[in-house]
Amino acid sequence: MNAIFPTPDAAESERLLSPEELEAALRDIGARRYHILHPFHRLLHDGKLSKDQVRAWALNRYYYQAMIPVKDAAVLARMHDAELRRVWRQRIVDHDGDAPGDGGIERWLKLAEGVGFARDYVLSTRGILSATKFAVEAYVHFVAERTLLEAIASSLTEMFSPTIISERVAGMLKNYDFITKDTLAYFDKRLTQAPRDADFALDYVKRHATTPELQRKAMEALTFKCNVLWVQLDALYFAYVAPGMIPPDAWQPGVGLVAAPQQAAGPRRTAPGDTPRLPRGVRMRYDETRGKHVLLAPERTFDLDDNAVAVLKLVDGSRTVSGIADELGKVYAADPRAIEADICVMLDGLAEKRVLER
Amino acid sequence: MNAQTPPRPEAPAPVGLLAELTHRCPLRCPYCSNPLELDRRSGELDTATWQRVLTEAAGLGVLHVHLSGGEPTARNDIVEITKTCADLGLYSNLITSGVGGALDKLQALYDVGLDHVQLSVQGVDAQNAEKIGGLRNAQPQKMVFAAKVVELGLPLTLNSVIHRGNIHEVEGFIDLAVKLGAKRLEVAHTQYYGWAFVNRAALMPNKAQVDESIRLVEAARERLKGQLVIDLVVPDYYAKYPKACAGGWGRKLMNVTPQGKVLPCHAAETISGLEFWHVTDHSLGEIWRDSPAFTAYRGTDWMQEPCRSCDRREKDWGGCRCQALALAGDAAATDPACSLSPLHAKVRALAVEEAAETPPDYVYRTIGSNIRSPLKEGAPS
Repeated sequence: MNAIFPTPDAAESERLLSPEELEAALRDIGARRYHILHPFHRLLHDGKLSKDQVRAWALNRYYYQAMIPVKDAAVLARMHDAELRRVWRQRIVDHDGDAPGDGGIERWLKLAEGVGFARDYVLSTRGILSATKFAVEAYVHFVAERTLLEAIASSLTEMFSPTIISERVAGMLKNYDFITKDTLAYFDKRLTQAPRDADFALDYVKRHATTPELQRKAMEALTFKCNVLWVQLDALYFAYVAPGMIPPDAWQPGVGLVAAPQQAAGPRRTAPGDTPRLPRGVRMRYDETRGKHVLLAPERTFDLDDNAVAVLKLVDGSRTVSGIADELGKVYAADPRAIEADICVMLDGLAEKRVLER
Repeated sequence: MNAQTPPRPEAPAPVGLLAELTHRCPLRCPYCSNPLELDRRSGELDTATWQRVLTEAAGLGVLHVHLSGGEPTARNDIVEITKTCADLGLYSNLITSGVGGALDKLQALYDVGLDHVQLSVQGVDAQNAEKIGGLRNAQPQKMVFAAKVVELGLPLTLNSVIHRGNIHEVEGFIDLAVKLGAKRLEVAHTQYYGWAFVNRAALMPNKAQVDESIRLVEAARERLKGQLVIDLVVPDYYAKYPKACAGGWGRKLMNVTPQGKVLPCHAAETISGLEFWHVTDHSLGEIWRDSPAFTAYRGTDWMQEPCRSCDRREKDWGGCRCQALALAGDAAATDPACSLSPLHAKVRALAVEEAAETPPDYVYRTIGSNIRSPLKEGAPS
């Protein structure tokens, strides 16, 4: 049987590979075909995508995440060995969690919410690209219809995922101001779960692919899975990057988002012209017992660093932030406009805790 | 330090003093944190003694004084005591029910330098609130009191103790706090000591209710950032790790009872065999440093397993000693609220079981005989 896609030379040699050679051949498939290499991912990680393009990715990828337990249940249904099932079922637990609010799917929903989606819209799966659905469903069918060895081998893209996740988390945090560490909580777990799962699956494949034919099947399965991932990005690129052809029933920017005012919630920022003051019930005093200044407030005490003390000493309800910056500029021989910004940030923190008014 | 004394965990400087000025209170909440045996008025410390205690507290490094009770404004000298706090630079926090004489004294308290008011609200719906507090006409008085606090420009915190009788009102508490102009809201799930332990079956909510209340608070925190600070105390029995009770035994707080006994926490008297010293016999500094009640569970030397070798032993300090005694029968045991305690599963099962049953009637707190009485007719001031 000929491979559908070109595979490494080792696969074509028709000889039995040693387990180490098989592993190398599998890794080579990832090195050439894993979706980390896709142009869409490069754009994503380098911060080149717009917020709506990141949203399209998060929304479509949700469909993949949500179907993973379905896929793993199909794999599980084919295992006749309780010991195998015990190991494999952990994947379902990882994704579904043990209770509402837990698990990988939930964390992906958090990510989608983090970029602005309404949870119900994401859950409805309206707006998912048809190409995404076709690819994901092909994956579910694949594991249900092919041999167990192929089903397990198709999961081996997990061997490559820690790299992509590290790149993704670092790149997205650095490049998008609307992405926070919390939003990306999904990937924290996968960094430890994926290698554990992959180790098991790799070991299984190495032990059970005992003929050249079976080894080739395993490699084809992994290639198939790489393509399941790849074509999803093709579809995203086509619809949302270039040429930007969004199919009629797919998500359009602006749809399914939480109303804008809620996203913009939060206290107003301190401006240089503001006149800060400590309200009644908040005061700074020197704590002789501990030898430092503290800010006393309702039911709490704030420890202050030297900069905060210097600023608060000048907060008297008549000086503006600019005025305070001017004073400090003289004392520390620094540019008042440069320290003004730092003062605003510090005062914002106190205002948010309701211990400072402006 | 005396060279002959055996080495003992060093006493850090205390941060807060809870002054239980009186046990008298017009309310009769079934989760009251006062002891089951309430002090009577005749035994209360006089003004001069409180002033001396406050002076000593300031000298020890205390920053916050919580003027509490009972209802602290039931004392005729509450204004004088508050003024003493202000004179000493102590941050004064009035923990009040807002009923009885509270409103009449508010202006004078403001004038002498009161820093903050924490007002208890038992419920949002007046009828429900008054059933919980056991006093008719309390709710309108509280609302008027809150409005006056805000009008004076004093920071206001609303304190709501949450249990199955009002857990459906969590969102209402949040709205009420915003409406009244409070800066802080405490959504404090009942801690089951004292009267709340007696009434536990009537108070314990179920896990789904608790989870929902936490979700509501977290959503509101985000929505009201910069407008309202919400502190959430989650219920112990459903928690993974216990609270560092009072910030650790003898580390941050002390509690002076109406009669002048000094306790490491307000429920410490439930632990039999502890020897408490009295402010009329010793200085506050001596009591804090050397009294047997404070040294008994200070630090980590007293701990048993699993606390003794636990990474968290200096985070939660083994949890609550009173709860360990009440649930495990040993005050030096790991607080069974901790998931590492061998008794945790039992405690949790108990909570689930009680929350599933029809709640029994409240046992209202009273001074003297412990009777189940119908709703007391209130006497609005």
